[in-house]
Amino acid sequence: MADGTPLTLLHARHLLRRTGFGASQDEAANFLAQHPTRGAAATALLSYKPNGFKPGGRSFDDIHDKWIKYMLKAKSPLQEKLVLFWHDHFATGISKVFDVKMMAVQNKLFRLNGRGNFKTLVKDVNRDPAMMEYLDTVRNHAEIPNENYARELQELFTLGVKDSAGVDNYVQADVAQIARAFTGWDYDKVAFFKDYDHDYEADYPARGAKVIFQSTGGFGPGGRNFAVEAGEEGPNEIDAVVDIIFEHEDSQGKNTVARRTARRLIEYFAHANPSLAFIDDVVTASSFDQDFELTPLLHEIFVHDDFYLTAVPPIGAGTPKSVRWPIDFVVSSLRLLRMKPKGKYQYIDGGSYTRVFDQLSNMGQLIFDPPSVFGWDWETAWVSSSTMLARYGFARDLTAAHAGGSTAFRPDKFIDLDLTDPNDILTAVTDALGVTGDLSLAEETALVDYLTDNGANPSIDLFDYDVRHSKLHGLFALVMQTPAYQLQ
Amino acid sequence: MAISRRQFLKRGGLVGAGTLLGPGLFGNGLLRQAYAALEANNRYFVVIFLDGGNDGLNTVIPADDVAGLRTAYDAARNNINITPAELTNSLIGLDPISGTQLGIHPGFNVPNDYFDNGAGAGGLKALYDLGKVAVVQGCGYPEYSLSHEEARVIWQTGVPLGPSAGTGWIGRHLAAQYAGNQIPAVNINDSIVGEFRQTGTSVLAVRDLDRFTFPFDENYPSDVAAKSAAFSALAQAAVAGAQPAAFFLGNTGLATIDATAAYQELSSNYNQDRPTFRQLYADIGRSMSTDLREVARVIWGVENGVPNVNARFFQLGNGGYDTHSDQGGAERNGQHYDLHAELGAALKVFYDDLASMPGNVANRTTILVWSEFSRRVPQNQNGTDHGSQGPMFVIGGSVNGGVYGNHPNIEDSALDYEGNTEYTQSANSFRSTDFRDVYGTILKHWVSLPGGTVQGLLPLDNTVEAVGDPDHYWRTADFDLGFI
Repeated sequence: MADGTPLTLLHARHLLRRTGFGASQDEAANFLAQHPTRGAAATALLSYKPNGFKPGGRSFDDIHDKWIKYMLKAKSPLQEKLVLFWHDHFATGISKVFDVKMMAVQNKLFRLNGRGNFKTLVKDVNRDPAMMEYLDTVRNHAEIPNENYARELQELFTLGVKDSAGVDNYVQADVAQIARAFTGWDYDKVAFFKDYDHDYEADYPARGAKVIFQSTGGFGPGGRNFAVEAGEEGPNEIDAVVDIIFEHEDSQGKNTVARRTARRLIEYFAHANPSLAFIDDVVTASSFDQDFELTPLLHEIFVHDDFYLTAVPPIGAGTPKSVRWPIDFVVSSLRLLRMKPKGKYQYIDGGSYTRVFDQLSNMGQLIFDPPSVFGWDWETAWVSSSTMLARYGFARDLTAAHAGGSTAFRPDKFIDLDLTDPNDILTAVTDALGVTGDLSLAEETALVDYLTDNGANPSIDLFDYDVRHSKLHGLFALVMQTPAYQLQ
Repeated sequence: MAISRRQFLKRGGLVGAGTLLGPGLFGNGLLRQAYAALEANNRYFVVIFLDGGNDGLNTVIPADDVAGLRTAYDAARNNINITPAELTNSLIGLDPISGTQLGIHPGFNVPNDYFDNGAGAGGLKALYDLGKVAVVQGCGYPEYSLSHEEARVIWQTGVPLGPSAGTGWIGRHLAAQYAGNQIPAVNINDSIVGEFRQTGTSVLAVRDLDRFTFPFDENYPSDVAAKSAAFSALAQAAVAGAQPAAFFLGNTGLATIDATAAYQELSSNYNQDRPTFRQLYADIGRSMSTDLREVARVIWGVENGVPNVNARFFQLGNGGYDTHSDQGGAERNGQHYDLHAELGAALKVFYDDLASMPGNVANRTTILVWSEFSRRVPQNQNGTDHGSQGPMFVIGGSVNGGVYGNHPNIEDSALDYEGNTEYTQSANSFRSTDFRDVYGTILKHWVSLPGGTVQGLLPLDNTVEAVGDPDHYWRTADFDLGFI
């Protein structure tokens, strides 16, 4: 039904910018011409062949800049949007892991499995060295258990603390039991299991039953036992735990992992506070609660009516607009303006001549270094005077990059300099930045007033070097500084 | 500072805009005051966060054994303990229930030669001796969390049980009483801190006032005025719309461009007017002192009537308190010693700075110091793991100095299975101080809010567990610990 719904130009633009890094009006029109329905568009976006790129390097800055460079040229922006999502979901930080190679390996894992099977992904993350370091799996021993990973596996990666009715999904006893399963693990380059460090001498009866979800999870008072045959523990046991978690049912009899994962993906790709109906629709239609395949789930999200709630003006009190992540703001702007950061240190070649690494740090998002295992705070938590000054400054720096080459801002590449009417110039600029129609009449008036100096110069000569560099470049910066450009 | 009629009307008008977005707590317009109490009383409130979990047991320490606390302390800590002899020069009052003589960590009594030129000498101990420090012991909440993140959010929102509030305990007050781009609060940080979080009004996050400038293209100075006007008009347009995120972005944009204009002279004004204090903060040379200097610069601007500089609430923090290893005891340059010396010296200079401003600003300022949790009572090899209740400090010229609340019961038999002290509201034992009582006291007696409003800002625990267990949950807000 929704698959066959025709795509409109604004819907196509919305789909492209939510699944990628910005879309100009031309890009949206071209995409629409090739994929006239929602279903065809979603299929096209999700048919990318996962790339095995790994951001290698010797330092944090190195791998940071490598990933940014890759995002700037990635053939499938959706692949990178998904890597970013999993990086936030399974938040792991260099400031505790230290080893850049392990961070890069994890990044590749998210790229290869980003739209694959979610249960498989969780099992892979169980054995991911960076994660084993970050959440202390390597410090979880038979005699001194560490519950860190067991807790976050449930709280952040799969179940969530409470279900959508506010009922607890698990209790402390479940954390303790699951921590038993993960004793004895270490890694060299890859994870391995040390039989002698596994659970024997814990306070529990050695090799006895290991039962979880006795009081929650739709398994009844008997719970579920994840113990396996003696000698078989290792991978079998930590996989068995994941299998049981994925069978967990919430207080409304729905699959807990399916609902929560769908909710998180909707919050990321569509908007905050989605309706339960939206969540249940996409889970049911994709059978995500049966087999946990991500591609069909994402497909159903991208064709759902609610996905397009914020796509078309007018923008009202009830329109659930989302604040762009800093990384999205930076990568989208560079891609839309067809620019690159300069040199070994990847700085913007204008204004304050600041490294992209530092710009993003000032905006509050350093990839590979999330603030905690909770990942980043989204939506208006991105917004402060300090972080917004960094965004305003980035827009200024980009548009003040006057030197030559691919690191310079050259609007003549995509703006017809023959234009003289300020309204035409404004439309050309908003088309290039992909926000035509997103600005209110008052905002458009303010921008035309700026171009014409409040009507004093009704005709603009863009061939005049100084006019072009002050007014046209300034107009680009102002549009990138608008609230509308921060939202999607 | 008196509130002009124009400002009054502006607030009255803009509060309406806040209603749309403000938290449901303030649905009743009668609860909303038509003026901001801190401004009416010309007061300031500064919150300092010790990030990582400050070891409370090595912050306020039993110095004698009249009730067995000292024996229990030495039993729990074998190489990071502070001896009674080492506490000789940092004794404070008696523990109210047990009568135990208490001392604060000797690092708080900053030696004259610890920082350059004797900056901050005497530290927090000197302020205590002036009668300006309330040491509030045993602060915590039911069902304590050992997660840094969870615990920090609990303290910042003021909501330990049930779903998180999403707004800060001060933020809810700001959203109710301020609106638009008034900027009642500034935090010295890159992003808005949890205490201030809300979307009804503007809060500044400033890392460095010297770099707090609006980024115009300097190649075309003649176009700057036009760019500035356009930026403000664009932000105004977003504020006039109804979409909440655009409204918040617009308000932040307006506040930011106004503030960069208003705040850009604060640093040079202060440096010029108060060179001695500027240097004392620099002599300490730590982030706590330089961040407090930024607060002093803003306050100096408010005191001198710099247009559009009106901040009354401030927040700053300092990391390094997660002392799992190499915590150190009383020896100079030990990790914990050094943190206490940094905090103590910076507070001493800040207090003296405010006290010597015309009209004694120290008497009009209250400072609250908190940490997300204390640390495990028994030490590990040479440090401490995450724990539960700990002390808070309330400091200011109008504070009634002394010891408040009870030292937690650290007898081995009284600890829970993790080795932490348990929160209890049972009056006949070591009753814990609920941190919301400290917040409430400040809101009621310093911010001067009516009891009903305070109650709305700090909701009681209404979870099933709380209702069923009055001894252990926060059910009746007292809001009068007597320290202000």
